[in-house]
Amino acid sequence: MSAQPLSSNDNDAPITPITPKEGAPASTRKLPPPEKPSDVRRRSHVILSFWLIVLILGLPIWWKTTTIYRADLPLQEMLEWADGKACRPVFPLRISIQATSLQDQEAQNLLRLTQHALDDLNDFAGHHLRLQLGDEKLDSADNGSALIIRLTPGEGTTATLDPYEPILDITYPPNTIPSPTASSSPLATYIASQLRTTFAEEQATISYLLSTNSMPSEHRPLGLSPETTESLAKRTTRSLKYAPTYHLTFSLFTSGPLPSSWNIEGAIDEYMKPVLEVLSPIHNFTIDTQVQLYASPGVQNQILNKEDLSSFINAAEWPLSPSIGGAPTINFIVFIGNQTIANPSQDSPTSQSWLIPQWGTVYLLSLPDDTTHVAAATLKQPLLTFTSHLLSLTGTPESGSLPLRLSTLARIRSADLLLRASSTLGSLARLAMALPSISIPSSVADGVTKTMSHLRLACDNLGGTEGLAHARIAEAEAERAFFEKSMVGQLYFPDEHKIAVYLPLLGPVAVPLVMGLINEIKAWRKRRRERAEKGAEKKEQ
Amino acid sequence: MDGGKVTVGRTAALYAGAAVLRLAIFTLLPDLPDLLTGRVEVSTPVTSFKRCLFLYNHNVSPYDGGVYHQAPLFLLLFSLLPNALSYPIFTYLLYIAIDLLSAGALWKIADSGEAGSSALFSSPRRERRWSGFVIAAIFLFNPFTIATCLGRSTSVFTTCAILHAIAKAVSGAPFSAMVALSFASYLSMYPLLLLPPLLLLCFDRQRPERAKKSILSFAATHVPVVFGVLGLLFGMSYLITGSWEFLPSTYGVQLTLSDLTPNVGLWWYFFIEMFDSFRSFFLAVFWLHLSCYVGGLSVRIRRQPLVVLTLLLGIFAIFKPYPSISDTSLFLAMVPLYRHVFPLMRYSFVIAAVIMYASFLGPAFYYLWIYAGSGNANFFYAITLVWGLGLSLLVCDLMFAVLRDEWELERPEMAGKEIRQI
Repeated sequence: MSAQPLSSNDNDAPITPITPKEGAPASTRKLPPPEKPSDVRRRSHVILSFWLIVLILGLPIWWKTTTIYRADLPLQEMLEWADGKACRPVFPLRISIQATSLQDQEAQNLLRLTQHALDDLNDFAGHHLRLQLGDEKLDSADNGSALIIRLTPGEGTTATLDPYEPILDITYPPNTIPSPTASSSPLATYIASQLRTTFAEEQATISYLLSTNSMPSEHRPLGLSPETTESLAKRTTRSLKYAPTYHLTFSLFTSGPLPSSWNIEGAIDEYMKPVLEVLSPIHNFTIDTQVQLYASPGVQNQILNKEDLSSFINAAEWPLSPSIGGAPTINFIVFIGNQTIANPSQDSPTSQSWLIPQWGTVYLLSLPDDTTHVAAATLKQPLLTFTSHLLSLTGTPESGSLPLRLSTLARIRSADLLLRASSTLGSLARLAMALPSISIPSSVADGVTKTMSHLRLACDNLGGTEGLAHARIAEAEAERAFFEKSMVGQLYFPDEHKIAVYLPLLGPVAVPLVMGLINEIKAWRKRRRERAEKGAEKKEQ
Repeated sequence: MDGGKVTVGRTAALYAGAAVLRLAIFTLLPDLPDLLTGRVEVSTPVTSFKRCLFLYNHNVSPYDGGVYHQAPLFLLLFSLLPNALSYPIFTYLLYIAIDLLSAGALWKIADSGEAGSSALFSSPRRERRWSGFVIAAIFLFNPFTIATCLGRSTSVFTTCAILHAIAKAVSGAPFSAMVALSFASYLSMYPLLLLPPLLLLCFDRQRPERAKKSILSFAATHVPVVFGVLGLLFGMSYLITGSWEFLPSTYGVQLTLSDLTPNVGLWWYFFIEMFDSFRSFFLAVFWLHLSCYVGGLSVRIRRQPLVVLTLLLGIFAIFKPYPSISDTSLFLAMVPLYRHVFPLMRYSFVIAAVIMYASFLGPAFYYLWIYAGSGNANFFYAITLVWGLGLSLLVCDLMFAVLRDEWELERPEMAGKEIRQI
């Protein structure tokens, strides 16, 4: 479209007359008179003025606007992270032994022996239990130990986990205290095996996590039985992806007009809040509730079979929003009705609730027909079920006391986030290397730098809450850098297509420019030759 | 048509007639101005009267929200007037006055005879020309001019400033010409490209008593004037708005074409379709294309700088980022100055037909696309292409005629013979 006026500038080419119609044969065609030197110079200036703009402004602009910006990425370091070379995920767990009834010397000796026994048992370098002598006054939070072993003399050798504190109470017959010279002691072995049992699940989970990621084999623990792997895999698929905040939606669905209200707030405060509070260092929770009347389930059978459960939720009609805001939603549904779930394998009483992996829980609650208000006490059983399902939806281990399970959850989650961030970094590095034409904006480079510094901090503090916080930031940054929108714009744009972009506009513009330049250069060379010939003639004369 | 003696009475009658016509339309058809204000052919994002006032009247920073893309001094001007909604008559009177001022400047240009005989060149045909009266009348009663005035597009201020810059230049007042050009550039930015030919025009027409010999020293004294006045205007704008945010949202929008509202130009469709990664490159190409004519034309038609100005105005009306019929009306106002070369033009009929075809079908196609829904964007874009074709034919043909006129002075024996361009 721009060819029109441009070519009109070629008007300064000499205008030559058409031979008169009645005119002479072509051989005697009248030649135009020679151009004046001033016209020639002017034409060169015109052509020069166009080419100067093209060369001085056009080319630099072309270079600047079409080169793909590729920020420098520390590719080598990123790959090291992904391969696990940059960080050995080590969880040094400190375990305090409080043995007030023992002499200092005896306690030291017991500790040394137990540590030996532990080291013998342990086959996984990443998960290391380190014993230390604890002080009575300090509790676990202060000295950073994961577990306290409280040794008290008693009748026989027993071990019990305190349900509220991370404390393992061990009683021992006084005569089992090892002598200072003994190289082994049944008590030490007992303590070591107890510890190992307590942390077995955490160890298995972490080694499972490491094995599913691309960690080098020397860090990988051996000896995970297939059954363990399978159950861990099941649990991992069941739990939601880690998010700093979860949104909990409590819904009351009823097929008729009643009940129309429920004291869910009181019930949550009473039965669920305590667990939410202990989970608060790891997750935040937001809560909303709803009541839906005349909600018919997807399956009307009196007894629900296993196959019915998947279609019970009437997704088309029940207002269960997928996700509110950025946080993933966990749904807890209380359905008022007297349907029951068939339990084919066991002869235990029919169950009333089921867990939907990564989604939530449904609880069937049967009430008298004329109930208008569901009291908090009635909701006790549903909420306790929800609470335990919440723990498994967040990926909390199943064995051990609650405090231990939670601290284990924190460690598992940090390891998980660390691994995920590292593998995202690796993918980004491989992407950047595989596609030389992909643009890498500086925001991506920033994200990578941030990710790596937080990963380093997380790696140094694995096992603590700080580590979790850093791993969380690292993972978020890595995801943001990897999914940067502006990177993919050029991805499917092969170089041949650029011709199709440039040619339609620049082609017509370039034709008069190039032709003008060529003509001008030809004319200049001709003039020079003529001048040289003239000079030669003069010399001859 | 040109012989009659122009008396004061005829002048007054012409101006009064133009003013009365506009006022009559304003008062008898009160809906028409607002209709025209909303037309894409009349109002572009950078000249729309509607966009100008709303935010300012509601005490919002006018540059918030990416709606207003015009110079801050317009705000001052319009806020000094009584409210345009309740007392529209004052706005009408302002726009009519601006049109009459433009016509006055055009009259001066025509009467100076610069079009026919400049300092370095006198056309053998220069006697065949229209008087300033006729040229002013053609401008004032041009439907495009009237539509622009009724649509209250702010580009009339730019038109007025450009015409005054040229008028001052031909009357030998280079300083005023530079000041007027700075105002035009401040309002719409693109008139800054007119600086080289305008400098040449000023140089050619400077008063003999204080003439500068060298074009370079002349430029060195006058170019700083332009930038000084521009700096002053920017400073005042900064004082009015309290920040520099007006720069990106007035000139930045013209440079980056962030507002893709359709208009009669060629840019909007192209940049809707453009791949994002090439956008900045092609923006640069389009701007370079727009500005590359300045140098070439100034060198080629050095002897007639007013021709260069006219041709550049025509090129801008086709290729600038947000053209409207207002730019066309400015170009069409300058074209009748070259009455003497009209006989040399080859495609007058085609040009007239194409421009009229496009101006009638344009609104129809826009209606089909936007309101009826039976057409699509290609309809309107196709008609803007035809419009651009018509205008570029006119530019080319005028250039051809002027060059032929120059050439015949050199080669008198060829006058009237058919020629061929090679």
